[in-house]
Formats: sequence, C-alpha cells, structure tokens
Amino acid sequence: MTAQTDNAAECVLLVETDVLARFPLADYLRECGYKVLEASTTDEAVSLLNEPSLPVSVALIDARAAGAISGFALAHRIRGERPGIDVVLAGSTADAVDSASEICADGPALAKPYERTQVLDLIKRLRAARDRQS
Amino acid sequence: MFVERGVLAAETGKAVDEASEPLVLLVEDEPLIRLATADALRFSGFRVVEAANGDEAVALLRSGVRPHIVFTDVRMPGETDGLTLLSFVAENAPFARVFVTSAHLTPDEAARAGLFIQKPYPAERVAEMFKAAIRENDSTN
Repeated sequence: MTAQTDNAAECVLLVETDVLARFPLADYLRECGYKVLEASTTDEAVSLLNEPSLPVSVALIDARAAGAISGFALAHRIRGERPGIDVVLAGSTADAVDSASEICADGPALAKPYERTQVLDLIKRLRAARDRQS
Repeated sequence: MFVERGVLAAETGKAVDEASEPLVLLVEDEPLIRLATADALRFSGFRVVEAANGDEAVALLRSGVRPHIVFTDVRMPGETDGLTLLSFVAENAPFARVFVTSAHLTPDEAARAGLFIQKPYPAERVAEMFKAAIRENDSTN
C-alpha cells in the first residue's frame, strides 16, 4: 500500500487521546516502516519514555492530550530532559490561537486533523536535520 | 487461510485496509503490556489495532473496524470494562472471537469470561491460540 522506507530503526511516540485519530496515523506510519508507540494519555507517554529499551526518536504530541500533565507540558519536559528526541506538537487552529506563544517557543507544530503525508514529511525532515547535525 | 479482511474506517469513513493479515483489536490499559503484546502479535503476522481501554474499543468497533479477534483485559478505567466489552462484541460484532485476560478473576467474572487467558501470558502462545481460533472460524464459515 505504501512504499517501505529505510527508517526501520526510527521509533515514533504518538500521544493522542482520540483513538479514531491515533489509530489510522499509527497504522500509516507503521506501513511506512516506523516503529510506533501509541500513548492515549500523557501519563502513558511518560511510562513509555521511562522504559530504557524504547529508543524514541520523535514524539508527536496532541496539545490537548489527556493526562496529569498537558501535551504542552509533556513536550516541554521532553525537550528539556531528552534533547535527542524531536518533538512535534499537534493542535487545532483554536489551540494555536490559545497558545500561540507556547507553540512558537516549542518549534514545529502540526495542524489537526492530521494529514498523514504531512506528518510523514515533517518526521523525515526533522530526522534528516538531526542527521546533518550529528 | 484468513478470508476476512479487516475493514478500517476510523479516519475517513471508507475502507482503508487492503491488507490480508488477520486483525486483532488489543484492549489493554497498561501501555507496556499493550506494547509488548502488540509487538509480539505483529511479529507473528497479525495486524493489531491498539485500544487503551474498553471505551476506545467500542469507539473503534462503532467506526467500522472489523477484527477477527478481540483480546481484552478485564479491569480498565472508563465505562466499559472487559466483560462489558465482551457483551458489546457479542451483540454488535459477532464475527469476532473474544479472548479475555486478567491476573485474577472473581468467580462471577470467570463464569462470564468465556475464552480466558491468565496473566502473565507468553505472547507467542497467545498468537498461536488466535491463529487456531481463526482457522476454526474459517472452517465453520
């Protein structure tokens, strides 16, 4: 269905509370060759991030994800504690208006609903930029 | 031979799945258990849809996801525990075989659980059980 890529080692943490948005995106990224960790809440995301055997490369986080901390707070924490992980915040236009300064400060943002090819392109660009830096 | 395709309509309302792998709806609220089980099932040739609780599983089934197997924990947060999900599947997705798992069941739960797999379970053995169940379904249909 989708061309496999050479990114089998890349691990994407997808933090999305809406299962009907999370599942098709996770399925698509797997078809593209990524290992995808699904988290329905920020609490689940923290559990997965604390597992040392899971080398997360990219964290795609819904700004409105449920959990003890917000999606914004999770993104901020990852950037502070895990600089090797590329973080992408996703949200609606309303989220962006509500929290424009946070999005601007926190780098790449993605509009919801997810456009799968756009997500894939963004992940590829982030990892390519990371490779160039290293 | 797995004859029924998973129909995944969650995003667009139309069928998006053209794969022939048997589909498992995995319902587990502990993310590390869910991940380990999903990984093992994928390695064994299944396509896996992950639900973090029973409510998510109901939403997926209502959206048009048609799993061959539903594999659910019993005690989960939300309005739909595993045994409630079992009843929902029986009424709304009778094509799916349901396997229930838990570390411990009360006698009342055990009486309602049907196909039960004790936690902790070897995921590879679970995959074999699912394949056998699908073969059985195929041979009777």
